[in-house]
Amino acid sequence: MISAAVLWIALPLVVAVLLWVLQSRRIFTLISASVMSLLLALLAWILPIDNAIKLGPLSVEVSSTATILGRNFVLTSADSHLLLLIFLLGGIFFLSGLLLRANRFFAPLGIAMIALLVAALAVEPFLFSALLIEMAVLVSVPLLSPPGHPVSKGVLRYLIFQTLAMPFILFAGWVFGGVAINPADTQLLVQSVVLLGFGFAFWLAVFPLYTWIPLLAEEVSPFTAGFVLSLLPTVILFLMLQFFNGFPWLWQYPVLRTALRLVGVLMAATGGAWAIFERNLNRLMGYAVIIENGYALLALSLGDANGLNLFAMMFLPRLAALLLWSGALTVLSGGGSLTFAETGALLRRKPFASVSLLVAVFSMGGLPLLAGMPARLALLQSLSEVSFSNVLWAALGSVGLLFGGGRILSYMVLGEGGGQIEEGWVQRIVLSGGAVFLLLAGVFPGWFLPLMSPLLAAFERLR
Amino acid sequence: MSQYLVYLPVVFLAATSILLLMSRNWRVCVLALAVQYLAAFWLVALIWPVGLAAVKLVAGWMAGSLIGAAQPEDELVDEHFKGWAGRALRLIAALVILLVAYTLVPAVQEWIPGSAAIVWGGILLIGMGVLQLGMTTLTLRVFFGLLTIVTGFEILYAVVEYSVLVTGILAFINLGLALVCAYLLASPTMQEET
Repeated sequence: MISAAVLWIALPLVVAVLLWVLQSRRIFTLISASVMSLLLALLAWILPIDNAIKLGPLSVEVSSTATILGRNFVLTSADSHLLLLIFLLGGIFFLSGLLLRANRFFAPLGIAMIALLVAALAVEPFLFSALLIEMAVLVSVPLLSPPGHPVSKGVLRYLIFQTLAMPFILFAGWVFGGVAINPADTQLLVQSVVLLGFGFAFWLAVFPLYTWIPLLAEEVSPFTAGFVLSLLPTVILFLMLQFFNGFPWLWQYPVLRTALRLVGVLMAATGGAWAIFERNLNRLMGYAVIIENGYALLALSLGDANGLNLFAMMFLPRLAALLLWSGALTVLSGGGSLTFAETGALLRRKPFASVSLLVAVFSMGGLPLLAGMPARLALLQSLSEVSFSNVLWAALGSVGLLFGGGRILSYMVLGEGGGQIEEGWVQRIVLSGGAVFLLLAGVFPGWFLPLMSPLLAAFERLR
Repeated sequence: MSQYLVYLPVVFLAATSILLLMSRNWRVCVLALAVQYLAAFWLVALIWPVGLAAVKLVAGWMAGSLIGAAQPEDELVDEHFKGWAGRALRLIAALVILLVAYTLVPAVQEWIPGSAAIVWGGILLIGMGVLQLGMTTLTLRVFFGLLTIVTGFEILYAVVEYSVLVTGILAFINLGLALVCAYLLASPTMQEET
C-alpha cells in the first residue's frame, strides 16, 4: 500500500532535490522533470485511489490519507482530475522549457513548487495551506530571479504580497475554529469572512493589490512568469473552492456573492482599462491574468452549478492561451521585455511566434471562434440575469485585451523591416500546434470544454 | 515592578524596529534584528514554555546570520528618503506607528486574548514592518520589513495557537525568507548561465 501524498507530493519533492544537485545539466533536468510530471499526470488519470488494483500476483492500493506529524494530507479520487491538470500543465511547461531555453533553476524549483502547491491542496486542517503556499512562493523566487540578473521590483512585490496573505489566512483558520464551536456568533462570523477575504485578496492579487502582476511579467522572463502566473492562481482558486466546500455556510453567506461579483467586475474592468493603454507585451500578459482571475471570481459569484461549470471550463482556454502567450513571447523577445513598437519586423522574421501570440491574445480577449469565447459568452449571459451593468463593466476586460491585440496586429503589419525567418522547425510545429488547439477549442467547444467539468468532483457540497 | 518589567521587551522592540528603519549600516541592522528576536522570544516565553519559545529565537538568529553571511552592500541608502529630512520623516512615521499601535491595543485585546504587552509588541512590529516596506525599494530593507512583520504576527499568533508543528513551519519560513534574501543579494553578481 502506498499513500497518494507520497506519490504526488513526496516523490516530486525528492526528484526536485535530485534535480537541484544536477542543475548544471539543464537539458537532463528539464527532461527528467517533464517525464516525472507527465508520469504523475498519467497516474492521476489511471490509478484509482482507495481501490486495490491487481497486477498479476501483486495487489497495489493507493490510500487517500497520509499522516505526517499529526496532520493529514488527503488526496481522494475526486482530486484526481485536479492532479492531472496540475501535473500535465507542469509537464508541458517543462517540455516547452527545453525548446525555450529555460534557466537551470526551472526544472528543480518548478517541480518543487508544484509539489508544495499540491501539498497545500491536500493538507488538513486548512490553515496549513497558508504555510505551504508561502513555501512554494519562497521556492519560486530564485526561479523568477536567476543568477546574473538584477533583483526586480516585481519579484520583491510578489514576495511581499504573497507573504502578507499568510497571517490573514492563519488567523482566519483560528477564527473559523471559533465559528465551528459557536455558529450563532455573528460578530465572529463577520471577522472570519473578512480575514479570509483579505488573505485570498493578497493571494489572488485582487484589485487594488495586483500591481505586482504586470511588474513581474515585465521584468522577468516571460516563460517563467507564465509558469508562475498559470500555476499559482489556479491552485489558489481551487483552494478557495475547497474552503467553500469545507464550510458550506460560507458558500451560502449572502454577502459573499456580492463581494465576489464586485471584486470580479473591478478586476476585469480595471485590467481591461489598463490593457487598452498598455504598450508592452509582457505587461499585457499580466493584465490578461488579472482579467482572467476577475472572470473566475465572477463565475463563482453566480453561486450555482452553472457558475461552477463555467469556472471549471474557463481553465482550459486560460491555461492553454497563457502557455502559448508566454512561449511565443519568449521566442519573440529572446526572454526579455518587448514593447509594441519593437514588434514591427517580427511578423516577417518570426511569423509563427507572432501569429501564435496574436491568437493567444485574442483568445484571452474572447474573440469569436477562439477558445476563450464560448465560456466567456456564457458567463456574461448568466451574469446579465443578475446585473446588466456588471456585464457591461466586466466586458471591458475582454474589450481591453481585444483592443490590445488589435494594436499589436497593427504594429506588426504596418511595421517596417524584414529578413529571413529565424524560427526553427520544432518551434514552428509547437507554436502552430498551440494556436490550432485554441482555434479548435473555439470552433468545437463541446469537444474540449466539458473535459474540465470533472475538476468539480471534489466539491460536491457546492453543487 | 514585575508588571512593568513585561513592557521591557516592548521597549526593545520599539528601539530595534526604529533602528532597523533608520540605520544605514547593515551590520547595525542585523544586530538590531537579533535583539528584536530576543525581545520577541521574551514576550512569547511569557505564555509558552521557554523551550518552545526558544525556537523563534534560534530561527531568528539563524536568519540574521544568513543575511549577514551574504555580505550586503555597505550603505543602505534609499533613493527617496535621503539626507536628514528623510531620516526625520522616518522617525516621525515610526513614532506615529508606535502611538497607533498603543491606541489599538484595547481593541485588539477584545479579539486576541493576550496581555497588553504581547499585543502591543505584536502590533508594533507589524506596523513597523509595513512602514519599512512602504518606504523602501532596497532588497535588504524589504526583507527586514518582511521578517519584522512575520515576527510581529508570530507574537500575536502565539496567543491563539500553541502548536509545535506550526512553530516549526513558521521557523522554517523565517529561515526561508532569510535564505531568499541572501540569494537575492548575491544573485546579481553570480555568474550568468550561458
